Amino acid sequence: MDNATVYTDVLIVGGGPSGLSFAIRLADSLKEKGLKRRILLIDKGNSIGSHIISGAVIRPDVFGELLPDVPIDQIPFDSKVSSDTMYMLSEKGSLKVPFHPPYMGNKGNYTASLGEVCRFLAKKAEEKGVEIYPGFAMSDILYDERGKVIGAKTIDTGVDHHGNKLENFQEGTRVEAKLTVFAEGTRGSLAKKLIEKFDLQKGKNPQIYSLGCKEVWSVPEGNIVPGEVYHTMGFPAANFGVFGGGFIYGLKDNKVALGLVVGLDYADPTFDTHDAFQIWKTHPFVAKFLKGGRMLEYGAKTLPEGGYYSLPKLYVANALLIGDSAGFLAMPALKGIHLGIRSGMLAAQAALTAFQRNDFSENTLKTYEQSVKQSSIHTELHRTRNFRQGFMKGMIPGVFHFGTQLVTGGAGFFGRLKTHPDSEATKTLAQAKKPLFKEKYKDLEFDKVLTFDKATNVYYTGVAHDDHQVPHLQINDPATYNAVNIQEYGAPCQYYCSAEVYEVHTDKEGNQELRIHFENCLHCKTCDIKEPAGGITWNVPNGGNGPDYKYM
Amino acid sequence: MALTIISLIKQVPLPSEMRMGDDGLMDRTKAKSIINVDCQFGLEAGLQLKKKYPDARMIVCSMGPQSFETALRTALSMGYDEAYLLSDRKLGGSDTFATGLALATLLKHLGFDKDSKEPFIVFAGRQTSDGDTAHVPSQVAENLGIPQATFVERIEADDNGNVMARRIIEGGYQELQLPIPCLISLTPTGVAPRKPSLSGAIKARNTAVTVLGVDDIHLSTEKIGISGSPTIVANVQNIVSDRPPVMMAEGQGEKELVDSFMAQFDTGGNVLEKKDEKEKKTAETPDFPILDKRGPAKGILTWAEVTNGKIARPSLELLNPSLKLAKELGNDTKITTVLIGKNVKPLAKTLFEHGSDEVILVENDRLEEYLVMPFSDILAQVIRKRNPEIALFAATTAGRELAPRIAVKTGSGVTADCTGLEIGEYVNRKTKEIIRPILHSRRPTYGDSKLATILGFVYPQMSTARPGTFPVPEEQPGRTGEISVFEPELNEKDFAVKIHKTVRGEGGLQSLLDADVIISGGRGATGDGLKLVKELAAALKEKGIRAEWASSRVVVDEGLAEYARQIGQTGRTVRPKVYVAIGIFGAIQHIYGMKESGKIVAVDHNPKASIFHHADFGIVGEYEDIVPELIERVKNGFTFGVEPVGKD
Repeated sequence: MDNATVYTDVLIVGGGPSGLSFAIRLADSLKEKGLKRRILLIDKGNSIGSHIISGAVIRPDVFGELLPDVPIDQIPFDSKVSSDTMYMLSEKGSLKVPFHPPYMGNKGNYTASLGEVCRFLAKKAEEKGVEIYPGFAMSDILYDERGKVIGAKTIDTGVDHHGNKLENFQEGTRVEAKLTVFAEGTRGSLAKKLIEKFDLQKGKNPQIYSLGCKEVWSVPEGNIVPGEVYHTMGFPAANFGVFGGGFIYGLKDNKVALGLVVGLDYADPTFDTHDAFQIWKTHPFVAKFLKGGRMLEYGAKTLPEGGYYSLPKLYVANALLIGDSAGFLAMPALKGIHLGIRSGMLAAQAALTAFQRNDFSENTLKTYEQSVKQSSIHTELHRTRNFRQGFMKGMIPGVFHFGTQLVTGGAGFFGRLKTHPDSEATKTLAQAKKPLFKEKYKDLEFDKVLTFDKATNVYYTGVAHDDHQVPHLQINDPATYNAVNIQEYGAPCQYYCSAEVYEVHTDKEGNQELRIHFENCLHCKTCDIKEPAGGITWNVPNGGNGPDYKYM
Repeated sequence: MALTIISLIKQVPLPSEMRMGDDGLMDRTKAKSIINVDCQFGLEAGLQLKKKYPDARMIVCSMGPQSFETALRTALSMGYDEAYLLSDRKLGGSDTFATGLALATLLKHLGFDKDSKEPFIVFAGRQTSDGDTAHVPSQVAENLGIPQATFVERIEADDNGNVMARRIIEGGYQELQLPIPCLISLTPTGVAPRKPSLSGAIKARNTAVTVLGVDDIHLSTEKIGISGSPTIVANVQNIVSDRPPVMMAEGQGEKELVDSFMAQFDTGGNVLEKKDEKEKKTAETPDFPILDKRGPAKGILTWAEVTNGKIARPSLELLNPSLKLAKELGNDTKITTVLIGKNVKPLAKTLFEHGSDEVILVENDRLEEYLVMPFSDILAQVIRKRNPEIALFAATTAGRELAPRIAVKTGSGVTADCTGLEIGEYVNRKTKEIIRPILHSRRPTYGDSKLATILGFVYPQMSTARPGTFPVPEEQPGRTGEISVFEPELNEKDFAVKIHKTVRGEGGLQSLLDADVIISGGRGATGDGLKLVKELAAALKEKGIRAEWASSRVVVDEGLAEYARQIGQTGRTVRPKVYVAIGIFGAIQHIYGMKESGKIVAVDHNPKASIFHHADFGIVGEYEDIVPELIERVKNGFTFGVEPVGKD
């Protein structure tokens, strides 16, 4: 029973849109070729969809390719986009942008809960013979003696906070596979290890990210029409030189999805995306949609924004990277779902070839990366390849860059623009521009009707973590953490974390220490991305832990 | 021959999502489901035993609708090998009596009873969150004719084929040695249930759950379902909580948090006022003939539990509703109390002085310590001989296993853990008759959110009464009664279970019952050995407040507090004006002992600790930070709104 090993042909780590699409496409094409192979898909959420959060406005065309037999109206999107407008917000006012910035139109798209869509895809995949096991967390990649990937292992359970075995200890299950597909989503914890071990980011820009906070509300009839789509720029992120914008989507049954997405390359160590989101909701333009309503759900996640130049090498022998784990997300529309699905489908094509040849070497799997380069993924990413970097020095240079990129087919006047890891962008308290976010908003209060403190919001995520486990958030260098990250930077984690995981406690003598409430963690990975000097590592907690999103 | 380990589990709705149909029966269709928590501990106990018996055959069984397959699959993925579900529409509405019979019949069908050649052991949860009776394990054991131990926290196999069980009792624990086969029910305090493993989940996916109907196991339909159950649920009411939602302190750091708490405490009017739980009057009584179905059954029988050489307080409390029922029944109804033990005759005086009319004395050297098998046998013999119309037991750990085991022998239904007992009638609109008199047993259920009235139609009508609910009747010095000696037939097999050790703390500490403020520390406040908890109580005393410190059971177990200070189901029930819970998670057993307090304040680092659901005021923070701040405030004059009574 202990240390059981499971053998499979394919192991997919992660049940989001890319992993499920890979599974569906591979199952279909194997069947077409008369091949029978075992496909296992493992997800750390307690059910498929429970860790899925997205805006979302989805481009539907790729679903027709993935599921040719399924009419579009059978896919559980929410509503067809009926109107689509962009507003520029100032402190109190709003100005409708009279045209759509390029590549941001949503005509023919659908508002959706991506969780619902994933539950649907999972059902389809199971019908096609894919074995799906939610509730299990893959904590380690398995390598053979020559260092090649041979699968992954679930986390050991039944340990105390220090990792000591308890009486109900169980060693994790080893899953050995001919092909392992990493589809863990943004900043995947195994994908990160894989990228480091095989230096897959070599010669590429470091990946950069944004953080989005989202709520779903139930509002009185008439506040919003299903399918209405609004995007906002400006207030409040722009006041701090932060790249970001808001979204408000009308859903059926008088629901609204809304959120604020902020680039994590900001300098202010006290900037707080959750609080900025709450402040944004008080803007009259936003508040009017919520009037008389109540919040149903809250959530947060990061998005890989680096685009074309941040894509890692997508394969090593016996393993592939797909979806957000690889960084497939198109700016400026912030759309990654259709790219994730397409990357899954293209990877499945390469996987089929590998099974036909029974050869999982780089030589075969590289066809995946080649096919990506010939696909619409490439077209979409390449034309905005310098978009995000252009905004790293602020909104005005950003708009200038974007203008030059539009007339040069994405190149701009400066060739490839570089990125720096978001953790390096944060400045110390002394160096950061004043007033700091927390100074400006030091009297910020939450009325618990329109705006909520983090603890209240966290309650609306359904988050839960087993008490008996090693805390999954790890301070990499406890020796210097206090002097550098707390004293010099003012412990940015207590601000950037949108779930109040991190708390700096000051005792009567004035000594400060960091306390980690890992039970609140929403698995957004911001700490792994944004902590100065890469000071925090996000590991997977026990399977089935984390948020329990219903309609996110 | 290899051992077979059998776990009985029930799938229950998540406590927060429970609904009940209008008929008073559980509507399981809407809520998200889990394996009942106590049953999960039973599953784990089985898996722990497998370490000693690696070749053991692992079986999990349940009874319920098809949807219970989900729970069985989870058990398979935890490490069980075979799963059986007894599922049949004819079982709908079964009470605990019928459920115990059905499950036992399923096990017999699978080849397990007292005569089976293969050794086996049955694990179960102590009780379920949607039933709360704790009856079924005892009734399965009785139906199978095997020994049992209930309220067990830990088990271990010895090298002689026995199982050692640590059983929780009032004030401590017992170490029991059980032979195989036997049945053991687990409390949710021992080894925590493991998480399903991926390899287990994959195996579970490929394992069939065998679904059996009543015909498959040759179970007579006369004894199951609504018609076969000796009890019915006559009425269910919502208990409207008088406690407003908790007010959580807000702020950064202990100073702000305590400021916020004190402001809320001063303004928040969370004074608990117990409202009368009145039964809604249904339509007026129709003009049906009134029937008295008692036949020759007459009188009220109670059992007097002896602990530490005295009559246990709950057994004296039990005489309170007994006296009331006797009065309501009129017609010279007598209260007969059975007193079992070694040299217990002198205790009869106490019983007479508190209301017993007759004491049936059963004295034997082998009966010095309570054991469920011989005691249930003796009480069943007494009941058969005396034929009482009502038999009452205190709902102690002993009473709650004894009553259901007796009930199987007498064919009675049992209502568990009652908070109200009265004589009434039953209007049967189908048969157009009114049964009168009949015992109305009221019990809170579904996490104390509902009050159900249960009626039994087999005599004696049996109920257990929740300790701490009824006051001990006023003592009448010099009152006497008749002592009858009963010589039971002792069955050697009833002594198969051996008591190795009994640890039972002393009562006393009256100051805890008189305190206006109780500062209670749990596992989360033991970092300094409860030093801060004691200091806070001392600071209040210093201000002339009647304050005392107390603790949860785990803290007593760890030896940091004496039993007399333990609050909860197996400790004391207290009702101070203010109860301050520090580092107490809020297990239901603890809540049981303090929920009637005036104001409840909870301090814990875990915002999800269930104590906050039962508190009026909550402070989330490390107790090492919050409590010193509270002590300072007390020193500056904050006394939790309680007036000083002068220094001792």
